Amino acid sequence: MENEFPSRLNLTLESDRLNLFFPLLQKGVTVPVTAGCTLKSLLCDQFAIPADYVTDRITTIFLNNHPVDDLDRAIVHDGSQVALSAAMPGLVGATMRRGGFYAALRQGISLISDSGAAAGECGTVRVKLFNLLLGELGPLVLAHGLILQRDELNELLQNIPGRSGDVPPGTNQLLLTVLFSE
Amino acid sequence: MDKIARIDMGAKGGPKVTVGGLGEYAGLGGRAMTSLVVAAEVHPLAHALGAENKLVISPGMLSGTTGSMTGRLSVGCKSPLTGTIKESNAGGQAAQVLARLGYAAVILEGKPEGDDLYKIVINKDGIKVIVDNSLKLLDNYPLVAKLRQEYGDKVAYMTIGSAGERKLLAASIACTDPELRPTRHCGRGGVGAVMGAKRVKAIILDDAECKMRPAKELDKFRDANRKFVEGLRKHPVTGEGLPAYGTNVLTNVLNEAGGYPTNNFKTGQFAGGSKISGEAQAELEIKRGGSATHGCHRGCVIQCSGIYNDAGGKYLTKQPEYETVWSHGGHCGISNLDAIAQMDYMDDNFGVDTIEMGVTIGVAMDAGLAEFGDEAGAIRLLEEVGKGTPLGCVLGSGAGITGKVFGVERVPVVKNQALPAYDPRAVQGIGVTYATTTQGADHTAGYAIATNILKVGGDVDPLKTEGQIELSRNLQIATAAIDSTGMCLFIAFAILDQPETFQALLDMLGSFYGVTMTGDDVVALGKKVLSAERDFNTRAGFTKHDDRLPRFFYTEPVAPHNVTFMMKDEELDEVFNW
Repeated sequence: MENEFPSRLNLTLESDRLNLFFPLLQKGVTVPVTAGCTLKSLLCDQFAIPADYVTDRITTIFLNNHPVDDLDRAIVHDGSQVALSAAMPGLVGATMRRGGFYAALRQGISLISDSGAAAGECGTVRVKLFNLLLGELGPLVLAHGLILQRDELNELLQNIPGRSGDVPPGTNQLLLTVLFSE
Repeated sequence: MDKIARIDMGAKGGPKVTVGGLGEYAGLGGRAMTSLVVAAEVHPLAHALGAENKLVISPGMLSGTTGSMTGRLSVGCKSPLTGTIKESNAGGQAAQVLARLGYAAVILEGKPEGDDLYKIVINKDGIKVIVDNSLKLLDNYPLVAKLRQEYGDKVAYMTIGSAGERKLLAASIACTDPELRPTRHCGRGGVGAVMGAKRVKAIILDDAECKMRPAKELDKFRDANRKFVEGLRKHPVTGEGLPAYGTNVLTNVLNEAGGYPTNNFKTGQFAGGSKISGEAQAELEIKRGGSATHGCHRGCVIQCSGIYNDAGGKYLTKQPEYETVWSHGGHCGISNLDAIAQMDYMDDNFGVDTIEMGVTIGVAMDAGLAEFGDEAGAIRLLEEVGKGTPLGCVLGSGAGITGKVFGVERVPVVKNQALPAYDPRAVQGIGVTYATTTQGADHTAGYAIATNILKVGGDVDPLKTEGQIELSRNLQIATAAIDSTGMCLFIAFAILDQPETFQALLDMLGSFYGVTMTGDDVVALGKKVLSAERDFNTRAGFTKHDDRLPRFFYTEPVAPHNVTFMMKDEELDEVFNW
């Protein structure tokens, strides 16, 4: 996968800079993945999110705008969109909850499970993080790497003092990884 | 709370106050009180702005105690907007203070002749009804500022703005928060217009020298309250999400689900959603020296409110709620938080229902009065309401009337009340509640649930379509009961997930009144309230044909899922079949 991105930028920032990425993470970032896997595998294996965190904390998940109930039967394909959220308030918030009792109230938009996963292939997935998960999972997603277009990166770097000149010349698209120091 | 005050505003010789015992209303509070009084005492064919209507103000069964989260006040009447029975509620301080004054209800009756405007002062010495025409046409913020000069800062205020005085059908009743801002509104259904029709501008509640209401079994009550608070604090919604982001945390999630009504319910996703999300709002508030964590009444541990300052760091409005950000935001194609916050302030100040007003502006946009996305245009339309111009009076009468006046086909109302911020095509079950509740389109009417009452009517398979009718029924029953306790509705999330927290609530109720409360008691109370409300609506002329959504929800698919509302009429008619 790394060979797909000749242009890379690795940043190490102080931890209080994490929130600069929040608007981007909410809108969605494109990340390189091995597609054709289950959503469970994407989160636990590729993003290295502990399984009990996924169970207990990521209580609302969307795959291509469909609320997901069974992570083992939701297949992530190249170009999929995944949105992750903590528990939501309200009846409708509870309705969107993964495997929730009120799932019937959203019948018609719930994800209908795929039958099987295709063999792993290089691809990309758009990932969105919402609310409490921005702070908790943001570092993991940023460490995994985002694919950004030049203008997106320019806009992002303008908000980080001293970093506006970091875009390698002649680059239209690159893989950005960000690590945070304490 | 051992007394009911009746204030006959139309009595010969001037308003007359009578204070009596609870009689047949003993043991009731909140929505149970307001609905049972209205159902028993208001003629269902009465004109809602006339002398026969009554405005019933009631704190909840646990308000005024040391219990946490007990600050919800209910106001009930026949609604001038919907024509149905109405219960509209709010946080703020009014419930706590009224309960400590010992009133289970204050009922405004009759209607005075003439043009005088009144304020009502309630303290430990009794109730005074005083003419004060200097308050005429003051909006809520300057009104409360003026009243504070006379009555001070240790009281609670209930007020109507110019919208209520003009009897606009979207008019609300404002309750002050602990900082004495008129930001918590009994918003839905035009209850402010009923108060205005009775020529009451303000109610000043002073509980000086009054004590907290004592529990019959004090140690048990304290223990139950402690467990209840622990449950709220450990739950990720009530202990983390809501304090950090407020209710607007729902914007990103509803948008992702494709259930975020955009441009007057034309699509289910808004491109500007993340710009007006709770996450973006909280960050901006904190950056500007405001707050994303604030309680609307003393005793609140969830703290889902906040303070929104302008770019200069000055107070602009309370943290706008999800419904406000949606109705003035995505529903109107607007993605500017400052513009939305300004309109939130205007809603609070003029005293109008933020949901009804925002939906109305969206309908007005469909009528060509402004473009979708035109912030200045939306603000201009809202200013008309504040000025009381003919256009403003049309807009201030709600989405249904505005749609009729301007010939708009797409008008999202049920029983003439505007739909809230969830598209019923994407979330079919909320559509069941919108269609069938006694209140008109209302998302909170079928809101609360407790795990040990979910078996009412038999087991439900949550993945089957027919489960939605059962769920809506159970939710409406449970909500009607919770609405009677004075508890903030947001306790429902912790109750949903944590049976021990629901048990703690039952134990609080039981130990306060010295009885044993069970889940069955909760169900029985909820059914009693709903049955009374349904009966009133039937006598007022409503039939099953009114328990339907507007036609376009059945015929127009909504993107991105391209679904329509699919529940059959016969299924909707089963919701209240007990």
